[in-house]
Amino acid sequence: MVELAPSAPGHRPPPHPDGEPLVELRDLSTGYERTPVLRNVDFTLRRGEFAGVVGPSGSGKTTLLRAIAGQTRRFAGAIETRPRPGERALRLGYVPQVEAINWNFPLTVGQAVLMGRWREMGWRPWPRRHDRELLANILERLGIGHLVGRQIRALSGGQQQRTFLARALIGDPDLLLLDEPTSGVDIKTRHEIMHLLGELNRAGTTILMSTHDLNAVATHLPRLVCVGEGALVADGAPEGVLTPEVLRRTYGADMLVLRRGDAIYVVEHLDDAMTGESEETPVPATPVGG
Amino acid sequence: MGELTEPFQFEFFVRGMVAATLVGLLCGAVGVYVVLRSLAYIGHGLAHSIFGGAVVSFVSGISFYIGATLWGVFTVLLINAAARRRQIGGDAAIGIITTCAFALGVALISRHGQFTRDFDAALFGEILGITSGDLAVIGGVLVLAAAVIFAFWKQLLFTTFDSDVASTYGVPVPWVEALFSLVLAATVIASLQVLGATLIAAALVIPPVTARLLTDSFTRMFTLAALLGGASGLVGVYVSWFIDVSSGATVVLLQGALFAVALAWAVARSRWPGTGSGERLAAIEGATLD
Ligand SMILES: Nc1ncnc2c1ncn2[C@@H]1O[C@H](COP(=O)(O)OP(=O)(O)O)[C@@H](O)[C@H]1O
Ligand SMILES: [Mg+2]
Repeated sequence: MVELAPSAPGHRPPPHPDGEPLVELRDLSTGYERTPVLRNVDFTLRRGEFAGVVGPSGSGKTTLLRAIAGQTRRFAGAIETRPRPGERALRLGYVPQVEAINWNFPLTVGQAVLMGRWREMGWRPWPRRHDRELLANILERLGIGHLVGRQIRALSGGQQQRTFLARALIGDPDLLLLDEPTSGVDIKTRHEIMHLLGELNRAGTTILMSTHDLNAVATHLPRLVCVGEGALVADGAPEGVLTPEVLRRTYGADMLVLRRGDAIYVVEHLDDAMTGESEETPVPATPVGG
Repeated sequence: MGELTEPFQFEFFVRGMVAATLVGLLCGAVGVYVVLRSLAYIGHGLAHSIFGGAVVSFVSGISFYIGATLWGVFTVLLINAAARRRQIGGDAAIGIITTCAFALGVALISRHGQFTRDFDAALFGEILGITSGDLAVIGGVLVLAAAVIFAFWKQLLFTTFDSDVASTYGVPVPWVEALFSLVLAATVIASLQVLGATLIAAALVIPPVTARLLTDSFTRMFTLAALLGGASGLVGVYVSWFIDVSSGATVVLLQGALFAVALAWAVARSRWPGTGSGERLAAIEGATLD
């Protein structure tokens, strides 16, 4: 129950409403092949922000991240990005959800991380000294320096996340996109990952991450985007977004929202949240305290 | 001693042995990407389809290499287009296209009323009928493949590992895939005379899968697969002289034996935890011959 302890005031990094827009989705409908998964999305991410995407599984969290990463089909609307002066495209660091990675691939941690620098490495197939130094630095910073030659399946969940975070960071990204970086890791590792992301954000990295973990992760982020049934349901600070009404529209289930001081807890009625059969066992959805 | 060096006095034998070594090396190296993308059925289908192309070019009096190249490019484009339609399913579409092309070849042969040596070679390989012109084509394709793999090593690795994320990191994935399709088609065409349509898929798949059992590093897997392919080509043809068995079949049987040894070794090692062999065994489960 450690993560239920109320966060101290000022624990949450402040939002950066004044930063210049880094990514703008305007009336975007996007998805795969024939039908859009997300419709009419309006979303702006500014430089320096740290935002989370929440929603039930299958709602389109991954699709939203992949749309920004240019991996989906665009049916209507526009995606606009602000690359650095003199560069053609935004530098993206993309950390896929664990389910999307082929763990059987014969790839060592070092080989995986250096993928993130493929462009800067020039024409040679092998890394130069500078590349190897950068690799050593980034692995050291993430605490996995001793694992450079290890195959990616032979890692713990936290080490796997760090490996692909390292691949994203080694390219010095403008925007870090992470798909459920805390899923499948233990509480301690989750804390370490969130701490690390917070540090990166304070050092200036813009972050957008998806999570299904409302209490331990989402409520601690400065900004939340709720995705439900193929559309953005709400967007803003957790205080404003995490209301029973928004949660019902996002998850199709009634949830309890508890507030104490600065802290917000969402109490899920698991059966309802998973089956969406909220009518059969109604749960009072009243904010408590405040 | 005289008996062991006997075959070397025949120029056609030496040519065949060089051809089999180069083709083994080529298929082993190119096959690494084929296996890691689970595209084994594409190599298999491409070989059968190009057999059809070979027959068509023979019947219409065009040079084999020109006819097969045109046909190969056409098939690759068709396969790529078909594989994108999820309703049919990539492998089913490829199965339909390539077996129809193969059947067309067989139909033309039976209509032609003669089963010439050329067709026999295209089906089952005819190493000892290799001309210096064939050898030049094999050498040329090997140089082409080596140049493409060297120059696009990082792009190919990233695309093979995860093409969606590769495009997010700026890899021109459609170009890389088109280039690789070209190299694969050229490999199949150059190998047709040596191994025959029926055995090419084996030469593309067995050495890489064997190499995968022996290592967890991409670079080492690539090197090992090429070496195993080349060595089994060399030794297979040499041995076939003495046991009076078709050389293409001997090469593939030798590769199969090497695979069996590697598998036994990996199984034995997987009984000791922490050796990584368990993961490697899991990794080859997805790879099949057709
Ligand atoms: N590659 C794909 N092709 C077709 N449909 C997909 C693909 N990936 C996801 N979908 C569909 O898009 C919807 C949203 O999926 P996703 O964005 O992965 O949701 P989430 O990440 O919130 O669980 C789901 O209905 C899913 O079936
Ligand atoms: Mg997802």
